[in-house]
Amino acid sequence: MRLYPFDLVEPDTLAAALDALARLDGETRLVAGGTALVPMIRLGLVKPDRVISLHRLPELAEVRRDGGTLQLGAMARLADIYTASTVREGWPLLAEAARRVATPAIRVSGTIGGNLCYAEAASDPAPALLCLEAEVRVAGAAGGRTVPVVDFFRGFYETALAPGEIVTAIRVPATPAGARSGYVKFTSRSAEDRPLVGVAALVVRDSSGRWDDVRIGLGGVAPTPIRAPRAEAVLRGEAPGDATLRAAAEAAAREAEPLSDLMGSADYRREMIRVWVRRLLTSLRDGARSA
Amino acid sequence: MKLELTLNGRPCVTEAPGHWTVLDLLRDGLNLMGTKYGCGEGVCGTCTVLADGRPIRACLVLAAHVRGRALVTVEGLERDGRLDPLQTSFAERGAAQCGFCTPGMLLAAKALLAQNPAPTVDDVREALAGNLCRCTGYTKIVDAVLAAAPGAR
Repeated sequence: MRLYPFDLVEPDTLAAALDALARLDGETRLVAGGTALVPMIRLGLVKPDRVISLHRLPELAEVRRDGGTLQLGAMARLADIYTASTVREGWPLLAEAARRVATPAIRVSGTIGGNLCYAEAASDPAPALLCLEAEVRVAGAAGGRTVPVVDFFRGFYETALAPGEIVTAIRVPATPAGARSGYVKFTSRSAEDRPLVGVAALVVRDSSGRWDDVRIGLGGVAPTPIRAPRAEAVLRGEAPGDATLRAAAEAAAREAEPLSDLMGSADYRREMIRVWVRRLLTSLRDGARSA
Repeated sequence: MKLELTLNGRPCVTEAPGHWTVLDLLRDGLNLMGTKYGCGEGVCGTCTVLADGRPIRACLVLAAHVRGRALVTVEGLERDGRLDPLQTSFAERGAAQCGFCTPGMLLAAKALLAQNPAPTVDDVREALAGNLCRCTGYTKIVDAVLAAAPGAR
């Protein structure tokens, strides 16, 4: 079955891509790796008149350290992110989450910018980027702007992008010194599925063992990927025992707004948040994982 | 749209509409029917081919995106009339029943063995996680890949 026909535009500069996006009438979509857009076209969810491909913009594919910051081009492939030693060493939480997206062939094509722009609630990288307090660089006809990832997701498959804007890069600040972090993903059907519940967490202990920096990101449990500020508040300043970890997991389950779908009901998702938040936090406390 | 690429080791110059995927190009443009159309959504894996040695889903990748790259399909595994060791291993171990998933299985396995000549059972299962087989139960497929691994003891 062929795709609904569209004209493909292949600009070779960002300026030309922005110009095409602003100038062309009718429905226009951007494509990076195609792993999200192509199935949406095939299913008839979108019927673009034209598709602007960003694959001729090599400057958007970079994965590099810029001082203490990780600079990821929007077109950086997920596989190129977690195989980069820079990322594995400096941002192990992101490497771990990117490594868990779907299957090898999807990770070879799928990009980090595409993953964020698709705004799938059950994204694997998004909870990690929320914990790392990453920023999205956006280009538009009127110039560039920076949007914190936490503000980038606006609703169900909805982002903060305005018409005519293109995500060019993701900037990830340095992982805090001494942080322990991890990503766990629970799938209800098969290992390569989207997460029913995905949990990323990063904690930093002070010299007395208290958690003075606690960040928890959740995927699949609300209309968008979210931080879990109430769960974080339960833990901040604590040297958590099992009861405190359970209380934090309970807070996360309560602040989530899960939906029911083919993977599982809202109630089941809440229960799995309790289980997986507690398990991840316990392993971080006990030192089973480290940054 | 003009496309130049390397296909199964040979230069290929062809034309394709902009909305064609790699799978459309292979089956309809180039008459190579070894690569199958399964789910069309990147889930089943039977359309897996290699681009610059890495597995891609031919049903998801636009044909324009493989311009200048080296594609390998199941037709390209054979060399001078001799099957690839993976193909021989699949045949000898009964790792194909209906055969529909086999092209994708072979290429996903080919990519794994090129990168990891001595994989563990878990490595093989992970590499093939996106390739669905509704006949075999996977055991013989995993066994066939392990037996074909150049670094197998």
